[in-house]
Amino acid sequence: MIEADVAIVGGGPGGYVCGIRAAQLGLSTVLIEADRLGGECVNYGCIPSKSLITVSKLADKVKEAEKYGLKASGVSVDFVQLQKWKGEVISRLVSGIELLLKGYHATILKGEAEVVSKDRVIVTTDQGREEVSCKNLVLATGTRTSSLPGLEIDGDLVISSKEGLDLKNAPKRLMVVGGGAIGLEFASMFQKLGSTITIVEIMEQLLPGSDLDLVRVVHRKLEGHGAKIYLKSKVLRVDKKGSEAAVEVETPDGKIKVEVDKILVSVGRKPRTEKLNLPTLGVQTDPRGYIMTDSRMQTSVPGIYAIGDVRGPPLLAHKASKEGIVAAEVMAGMPSAADWKVIPEAVFCDPEVASVGLTEAKAVEAGFKVKRNRFQFAALGRALAAGEPEGFVKVISNEADGLVLGVQIVGPEASDLISEVALAIEMGATVDDIALTIHPHPTFPEAIMEAAESAAGRPIHQLKS
Amino acid sequence: MTYQFKLPDIGEGVAEGEILKWMANVGDQIKEDQPLVEIMTDKVNVQIPAPRTGKVLQILAKEGDVAKVGQIIMVIDDGSGGAQPPAEPTPPEPAQVPSSAQLHQAAPAQSVLATPATRRLARELGVDLSLVKGSGTQGRITDEDVKRFASGSPVGPSTETMQAPRPSIHGAGPREELVPLRGVRKTISERMLKSLQTTAQVTHVDEADMTELVLLREAFKGSAEKRGVHLTFIPFIIKALVPALKEFPYVNSSLDEQSGNIVLKMYYNIGIATDTEQGLVVPVVRDVDRKDIFELAGEIETLADKARKAQLTLDEVRGGTFTITNVGAIGGLFATPIVNAPEVAILGLHKIAKRPVVRDNKVEIRDTTCFSLSFDHRVIDGAYAARFMSRVIETVQDTKKLLSEVL
Repeated sequence: MIEADVAIVGGGPGGYVCGIRAAQLGLSTVLIEADRLGGECVNYGCIPSKSLITVSKLADKVKEAEKYGLKASGVSVDFVQLQKWKGEVISRLVSGIELLLKGYHATILKGEAEVVSKDRVIVTTDQGREEVSCKNLVLATGTRTSSLPGLEIDGDLVISSKEGLDLKNAPKRLMVVGGGAIGLEFASMFQKLGSTITIVEIMEQLLPGSDLDLVRVVHRKLEGHGAKIYLKSKVLRVDKKGSEAAVEVETPDGKIKVEVDKILVSVGRKPRTEKLNLPTLGVQTDPRGYIMTDSRMQTSVPGIYAIGDVRGPPLLAHKASKEGIVAAEVMAGMPSAADWKVIPEAVFCDPEVASVGLTEAKAVEAGFKVKRNRFQFAALGRALAAGEPEGFVKVISNEADGLVLGVQIVGPEASDLISEVALAIEMGATVDDIALTIHPHPTFPEAIMEAAESAAGRPIHQLKS
Repeated sequence: MTYQFKLPDIGEGVAEGEILKWMANVGDQIKEDQPLVEIMTDKVNVQIPAPRTGKVLQILAKEGDVAKVGQIIMVIDDGSGGAQPPAEPTPPEPAQVPSSAQLHQAAPAQSVLATPATRRLARELGVDLSLVKGSGTQGRITDEDVKRFASGSPVGPSTETMQAPRPSIHGAGPREELVPLRGVRKTISERMLKSLQTTAQVTHVDEADMTELVLLREAFKGSAEKRGVHLTFIPFIIKALVPALKEFPYVNSSLDEQSGNIVLKMYYNIGIATDTEQGLVVPVVRDVDRKDIFELAGEIETLADKARKAQLTLDEVRGGTFTITNVGAIGGLFATPIVNAPEVAILGLHKIAKRPVVRDNKVEIRDTTCFSLSFDHRVIDGAYAARFMSRVIETVQDTKKLLSEVL
């Protein structure tokens, strides 16, 4: 039996960060992971998808290389090598996580955990059953892909994002069911790798919940490169014929049939709580099954904490990590709490979409008199010189005092640009603060400064509206 | 069971204290009543003993932190029950279980404007930011606002803005250093300013011939040593002050502005300004009229020692009616001491040196010194102060008279 101050179930970006912090704070810590350290993010999500997306973007750039005077011929994607490299990236990160945990003297237990009580976890490892007795329990089991009836994932023809990242080649014809963040990343990526893309989305826009003006840029680009996008549509039937399938889709204009080689289902995820014994423990969940906590990550049962995806949307690695830190600090007796104002989000489709804080609609709903100011990347030197003039930065501010309420970006490096704004909002910055901060030239972040200058009534590189 | 050690009520008017030094670490076994923590309050440094015997589980207020009275500063496992999670055992309140939507909304402008670090500070000090009025632009809440709120001070311009300007973010090397204005230093700074701003101070300087007193002290030194005390000039001066204070009662008074009364005090508690590492502290020797010079010498020695070790209790620093400040050992001719309000007068003692003096039309070498008396002209007039001073000097110079007082 292992005795510990803290047992963490799940070694994803929530759990492993919690483990490091807890161990740093002097708590004896056991981290239990059934699969691989790093969880969904490192192994089947963020990291592998970004590896593939990087290559897909490069391959795509090369296609129009001649436009820039770059002669490149015979360029093709070697999927075997690509997957090998992707694997190396993952391994490096996984061993890095292990090194950190061990370096801080946290114990790693590889095996499936079964929570027996708030202070007892049984772990089935390769060597047999191991019992962990703990003073605090952290649930960080994340989520798993959910599928739709009639569209069950078979791992071959009908796949989830996990299999999608392990493909040995780009499917000739790929149908993406669900036009959310994951669906769009795969659609953009495989389009660049040569697939013909069909997207089926049940809502009336891609990336439901995002502003339409941003989504439109991505939508148009996908369509411009030959994708068929069916909104307010759903898959009715899948007829598998060998290695391909005929998919019947109900669209607002009637039923259609689409022949595909792969169907990637990205219709959402559900909490992974089967082995946690939540009803017996008395841990409260919301109607969707996500574990409820207070801002200190404490569940309805003292001594049991929950962090990351298993507590519910937004399902984001960086949110999980911060929650892991909060939980660890609370367990160590520190007055920590989740008191961030905003959680930035980024979608790595093409062009990238990133947002933080309130959208215009949400800001109006919250009672602000809102100012909206945009700056187009087409007017930015750096974007033109990079050959990426699509998209814009949109700054939402409070008219009365210029407080930055939110920023949405669609365009090059949007995922990197958003952090500046997240900081601005956390610091309570105004559009003046951003406008008056010198941004180096020529860089993409200048677009944020320009939009802020516009919001402050002093646009330079655009005409006053 | 865990015992939550809260910063105790150290004494009247003390709302907070800076944790100066913990004398135990997490994991240490401690014994009830062993000195556990040293706290610097705005009045005095105090040592607080361990409230229980047990094992230190957590230290919630680090050295340098300012804790409020009643704030939990340490968690002790007193071994009286089962294991408990080290965290503060507050069960989550179901009403506070937030929807995830609440978590990723930007705060509306009318709600709290504070940086992440300030928000953390608020959590650490247990401050509800929605109750704090921000002093920054557009009502931004600063660290200072949070600290001030935590200390219970009224909202207002920060006294700490008086500290040195922050160094510029460019420019190489530290040309300035920021020292937080805290504890004793902060109190001195506030009190001195307040004294000068709320009283009408005048300093009267006169010369005293100490030749006979020097001899008198020499004469008593031996018997003092037998009693184990070191005899300085101060007990003699105190003894010379008593008849003068009785004769000139307004010097031993305070002005109660609220009631519009001058409070004449029939007790004689003399504060002795004492130089310590933390700054000036003023322990009080009580009822000096009822003590002989040896008792006074012993008490002064003890108090000065405690002051230097930051071990004075609150009772030992309050209730003074008149103050003596002695910089004679350091040097200088005379000074203009600042009255230790609400007292109305302070006597500065200076270097005693051999100087040429004209006596009976002849120049003689005598031990002389200057006395500086600062007084509040609202209560005392110049002539009254001068007469008081003459009376003190008369006693100091007249050994026969002094002898009747000292024993």
